[in-house]
Amino acid sequence: MKEVAYYPGCSLHSSSELYDLQCRMVFSNLGIELKEIDDWNCCGATAAAKTDDFLAIALPARNLGIADATGLSEIVIPCSSCYSRTLVSQKRLLCDSELKHKINAELSRKVEAKIKVSSILDLLMPKLLSGELAAKLNKKLAGLKVACYYGCLLTRFPCDISVDDNIENPQSMEKICEELGAEPLDWGYKTDCCGASASVNDTDQSLLLMSYILKDAVSRGADCIVTTCPLCQMNLDAHQVRVMQKHGIKKSLPVYFITELIGMSMGFDPYEMQIDRHFVDAISLLKEKGLV
Amino acid sequence: MPVKKLQCDMPKSVQFMNEVAERSGQNIYACYQCRRCAAGCPVGMQTMVTPDRLIRLITMGETEEALNNLLVWKCVACYTCGARCPNNIQTARITETLKQMAKEAGITPLVERTADFNAAFMQSAGHLGRFNELEGMGIYETKTMLKDLKKGDIKSIINEVKTQSDLGLAMISKKRLHIGIERVKNISEIKALYKKADASKKEDRK
Repeated sequence: MKEVAYYPGCSLHSSSELYDLQCRMVFSNLGIELKEIDDWNCCGATAAAKTDDFLAIALPARNLGIADATGLSEIVIPCSSCYSRTLVSQKRLLCDSELKHKINAELSRKVEAKIKVSSILDLLMPKLLSGELAAKLNKKLAGLKVACYYGCLLTRFPCDISVDDNIENPQSMEKICEELGAEPLDWGYKTDCCGASASVNDTDQSLLLMSYILKDAVSRGADCIVTTCPLCQMNLDAHQVRVMQKHGIKKSLPVYFITELIGMSMGFDPYEMQIDRHFVDAISLLKEKGLV
Repeated sequence: MPVKKLQCDMPKSVQFMNEVAERSGQNIYACYQCRRCAAGCPVGMQTMVTPDRLIRLITMGETEEALNNLLVWKCVACYTCGARCPNNIQTARITETLKQMAKEAGITPLVERTADFNAAFMQSAGHLGRFNELEGMGIYETKTMLKDLKKGDIKSIINEVKTQSDLGLAMISKKRLHIGIERVKNISEIKALYKKADASKKEDRK
């Protein structure tokens, strides 16, 4: 078992704890043990960047210090917002030693910012390319038309950070879905914004943005949406009924975590993965496709 | 839309422009108004002020409007404008900076709920070290409802209570509502970072 440091972030320990469970199941099956870093704190998400430039760097920096102290070479962060904020903090600390000293003065585990920060796709892609993923799959998700939704923060950053994928038309999730036997669709809203926390404080705006995403996915004939971000998943899932009512969308789409589709293909039980905890029924489609 | 004549006041404009550029870390001087950002902005249709217009307001020294327009408060920080900018200007970073500058200037935000949500989030994250959805939402809802009550806007309150209780009930039925409280053990470190943040803000003001 290879050990990789793991930062779940607040949502994977609360409303999206099913995603935490699924990540552990899927990666363990791929020979990767996720070692949750101890005593981690909230990364500040997007709120810190909008209110306090110091905390926006310092909060993820504390987690990076804890991660550095594990001695592991890589940390995986499934939530897009946590991933983005942590990478941005690391990038800033590497070029601003004065700020690093200022933050380290308050930390018991000093941040060196040397650990490799990975998204869940960064961790999955080598397993796809090496064939190790394929070796663990025993069920083809045949006939499942998926719209792979990346959202904003996997490919776009507020500073220069290079991305392995195409930033306007990323393909890594599509490649994974193809390996699972599903049919990823070409569509136009894969990197558009769901509104993130605006679903709370600027609801109409967020519902409008989600309507663009859902309308396009429906019109392309998608059976479902698949994503890696817990906030995108929560928004598109929990608010979908309101989006449909307000914007005249007739068909509802389950919104899966990438771990759910991989897990199904690995032969895991959907109830064990807690896929029955979605707002839009996500089990019926799997039954319809003969996967349950 | 009425056309507003811009009043260009050079010294004031330069000072303001420099402050925004320095704090946001964005080279706004490089903007040549090509509007690729505007074409990609997902909220531009609602805000009217698009990223290019915002930069223009800053460079023309229209401080009041630059600090309080719909783009500043409705920007979803999707970073599309910056990804498409040929000069690598990240206007979403600028809206983040302007929100902070507006607060320092004591300006009441055009979309108060945005500022209130961010403040509630940071308060909860600082209190326990981890964001607690119930606590954060509680702080935010109390704040916004009290404001609506003061304004006599009962309709908004009823609307909000209905929306949130519908969502809350759905979350309970799907077991997505987390009741337990998680806190950082070494919370003194978090408190120290918050304290330092406050201190550096006071220092900047001096």
